[in-house]
Amino acid sequence: MKIAILGAGPGGYVAAIRAAQSGAEVTVIEKEEVGGTCLNWGCIPTKAIIASTDLLAKARRLKEYGVELNGEIRPDFTAILARKNRIVQTQIQGIRNLFKHHRINLVQGRGTLTSPRTILVDSPDNAQETIEADRIIIATGSRPYQVAAFPFDGKQILSSNDMLNLTEIPKSLVIVGAGVIGCEFACIFRELGVEVSVIEMLPRMLATEDREISKLLEREFKKKKIKVLVNKKVESITAYPDGVHALFPDGEKIVAEKALIATGRAFNSKGIGLEGIGVQTGPCGEIIANTKLETTVPGIYAVGDVKGGLLLAHVASKEGITAVTNALGGDKTMDYSAVPSAIFTSPEIASAGLREHHASEQGIQTSTGHFQFRSLAKAHALGDIEGLVKVISDKQTDRVLGVHIIGPGASILIHEAVLAIQHGMKTKDLAETIHAHPTLSEALMEASEDVHGNAIHVMHK
Amino acid sequence: MGAEKTEKEEYMNPEDLKYHREHTWVKITGKKATIGITDYAQDALGDIVYIDLPEIDIDIEANSEIGEIESTKATSSIISPVSGKVIEVNEDLSESPEVLNDDPYGKGWIAVIAVDDPSEADDLMDASEYLKYVEEEAK
Repeated sequence: MKIAILGAGPGGYVAAIRAAQSGAEVTVIEKEEVGGTCLNWGCIPTKAIIASTDLLAKARRLKEYGVELNGEIRPDFTAILARKNRIVQTQIQGIRNLFKHHRINLVQGRGTLTSPRTILVDSPDNAQETIEADRIIIATGSRPYQVAAFPFDGKQILSSNDMLNLTEIPKSLVIVGAGVIGCEFACIFRELGVEVSVIEMLPRMLATEDREISKLLEREFKKKKIKVLVNKKVESITAYPDGVHALFPDGEKIVAEKALIATGRAFNSKGIGLEGIGVQTGPCGEIIANTKLETTVPGIYAVGDVKGGLLLAHVASKEGITAVTNALGGDKTMDYSAVPSAIFTSPEIASAGLREHHASEQGIQTSTGHFQFRSLAKAHALGDIEGLVKVISDKQTDRVLGVHIIGPGASILIHEAVLAIQHGMKTKDLAETIHAHPTLSEALMEASEDVHGNAIHVMHK
Repeated sequence: MGAEKTEKEEYMNPEDLKYHREHTWVKITGKKATIGITDYAQDALGDIVYIDLPEIDIDIEANSEIGEIESTKATSSIISPVSGKVIEVNEDLSESPEVLNDDPYGKGWIAVIAVDDPSEADDLMDASEYLKYVEEEAK
């Protein structure tokens, strides 16, 4: 069986390796670099920079920890970016090596579907090549969404991609959009000493997360002196020599050296030949696929950002594996009920399953349990006491429906909750499981106990 | 650090204030109300490290949350004892939240509210009623 995969991001490259492991002959077409947005412009480079800014934040608190330093603590932006670039390059090489090991044919160039079984590749040196395949997987991803009223200029009005090309730390930054991208960049640049304002059209930051998480993050932003404006629509963003002016309908404005427009992502479904062969897309350009990830054309699958839904690298990878399994004759469907998400703000945020406001919308009766990290000895020992764990369970069955964490180690802690949700466990199961002391993991055990009013380290009225 | 109270020691609650069951106090002067948290509240919270102050000019209602306090061991809502418009907040607390522990009835005042109806405070507890109330709650 020949499989061709369009795009080598976390959806495409994982699909390619799984297909090769399963004995298929695999060709991957990529117009840029392997690893996609995640590795080149998203998850990995930002996390490399956050490792630097986290260290910077801790270094500023050395005295509190009884560590003396003779000298100045300051970020070296050039060195931070050089480190980020090295990490990205190592990972790119890693994927390329995996491809070699699995004898995956990587074709550099822009691919267009010319029939349900052929892809025409325009390579950078103007050569053309036609790839034939029995099955095709589209994993072309997404790109920063460009607002028509204020297009990116790459100099002052920036996309999240442009942010990673900055060579100097700006004095001030206005961020439009308080989603994951906007909030992560706000934390990064605030730690680098930048005056940061975040503007959100919706009533709260991180509107897809549980309300309590948004509320707590807003307070943490306040502490950091990041200006947060919610329920505010930006009318225009204009670049002037003295900086960028973000204008509101009421005439008020924010002036900053740079603007980051982080209002969402656009799907890469145009110009790849979908219309010609009948692959249908939705209203926003997302490719329509069923739960087996097959598109409206049999034998063609779509995975990752380009099919819409949850725009997360780990979802793309799982979809890649599912699509390959089905393309090779298997019968697998995607289950999105326990997808974790991790947001690397400071403090970190992670969640899985149901948000409390969804429960009421869906008419589910729930119980909740909370536990503050500041009630935990380990959090005090670490010196990171901000945040909480919230557990949402089904009132009748006690099954864990959702877990929301903001605080130290959230992205690690969430996976215990993911297992619990995925396997239909009850809060009692989590509460009765022995958790090591002293660890941050105790917070999930205590929050589960709290569902029944039994948390040990909480005084209830 | 908030002083530990011995069993015999009483919370010294000024006689000229009114007290809300959510452990806030209010001092009415004409149409203005100054509000804060009680000595009992600061003691129960422990070392206060952050206060989320209300915004100037917002309208607030009695018994609703107008801000939040974080201590090293807990976070707690600040519940307004009266209704009205916030006209002044104690910005000094942002820089030195520990003042809430040291002087909850003085320098630790939180906000001044232009009240719609000063008599609203009549329903609140006086100092001796509040003392009885916290003693009950402590049991």
